[in-house]
Amino acid sequence: MKLLSLMRRQRALLNCAPIRADQSVERSMRAAISRVDGAADFISQQNFDRAVARVVRLIPIPAESAEWFSEKDLVPASRWTWKKMMRNPAVLAISIAVAVIAGVFVFNFLSNLNDFPASATARKLLGTAASTRPVMLDPVNAEAGTLSDLFFMKYGLEHYDVPAEFADFGTIGCRVFEDDESRRIAQIWVAEKRMQLFLFPAERDSKTGAVMRFPGWRYVHQEGWTGAVTEHSGVCFMAAIRGRDKDLEPYVATPKK
Amino acid sequence: MLGDSRKAQEVFHATLREAAQGAAHGELPSEPFWLFREARWRCLEATKNDLQPETVEIDEHDLCAAAASQIEQLDPVQLAIWISAAPDPQRSALALFYLDEFDYREILDLAELKLNELSRLLARGRRQLQAWLDAKFPRPGHA
Repeated sequence: MKLLSLMRRQRALLNCAPIRADQSVERSMRAAISRVDGAADFISQQNFDRAVARVVRLIPIPAESAEWFSEKDLVPASRWTWKKMMRNPAVLAISIAVAVIAGVFVFNFLSNLNDFPASATARKLLGTAASTRPVMLDPVNAEAGTLSDLFFMKYGLEHYDVPAEFADFGTIGCRVFEDDESRRIAQIWVAEKRMQLFLFPAERDSKTGAVMRFPGWRYVHQEGWTGAVTEHSGVCFMAAIRGRDKDLEPYVATPKK
Repeated sequence: MLGDSRKAQEVFHATLREAAQGAAHGELPSEPFWLFREARWRCLEATKNDLQPETVEIDEHDLCAAAASQIEQLDPVQLAIWISAAPDPQRSALALFYLDEFDYREILDLAELKLNELSRLLARGRRQLQAWLDAKFPRPGHA
């Protein structure tokens, strides 16, 4: 039924086929013409139409009216302009789609510009920091730097060392927990600006198993929290604070010996 | 459309006058074919009170290979009269189509027709014109 209707439409289009071969036609007309290209009936129709059109052009126009017409076309071809093209719904829709795709691409590019190995874990831990309450940690009143021994003796965590920059801070509490990938995370709450410190295994190359190292301190941000992350001996350390980079910069700018 | 140069000139001037007045008042329609639409309506209006063609069954013949040479023998004015004698909307369809200035979508818009209507009108017009040509310039061996 659909085929029949399609054939009827094509037949109808052919009856209205342009007289001049050089006339621009839209796609459905072009398709209909190409299907019957060379068919005797269609050639005969085209010859007929051309002959009639030639005679029609010879129909005399009163001189008084004829002077209104120049050699120009009766219907001037519409001029192509950027403004007009941009108003075309198809062009508009494509432009918007491209703009959205480009926007997403740029957003992802900028988001990942400062990425480093362990940045994804660090962001997750910033979420953990935001939701942690003091009662969730075991109370510990000591210097942060001394907890390395506790982590090693009690939990068997090697190299879970707090960097010298944060080692002198007095602690409020600490805990060791496993994240959703069964990695063991050490969390320390210190009194200094209610900062939280995290120690967690560095990312490893999935093929070689080698630690993916990165130099110095890197910043991550999540939900109003900022973390300064560094890696040492296959363990990452992150100092997390509710605030911005400038709140952490004084602590990491001048490393203590 | 009218088959009468005097009437055609009157319609032409009336249409232009209307356009000039519209332009003077800044009221020209923005759509591109309003002038042709206006002219067509004026043509139909001008012939409304004329003698109307009788509704008779007109012969129809299949297009033949010799049609082009038959058409060449036609007097252009005779062809104009033949087209103008057709009942509308066939007259509009034939006039606009053979003017060879519009594509079929523009004709559909101007003559307010649907594709299958325009197709039918043109196909029938060709066959009727062929029958008229055959009557006027008989083909050898064609009854």
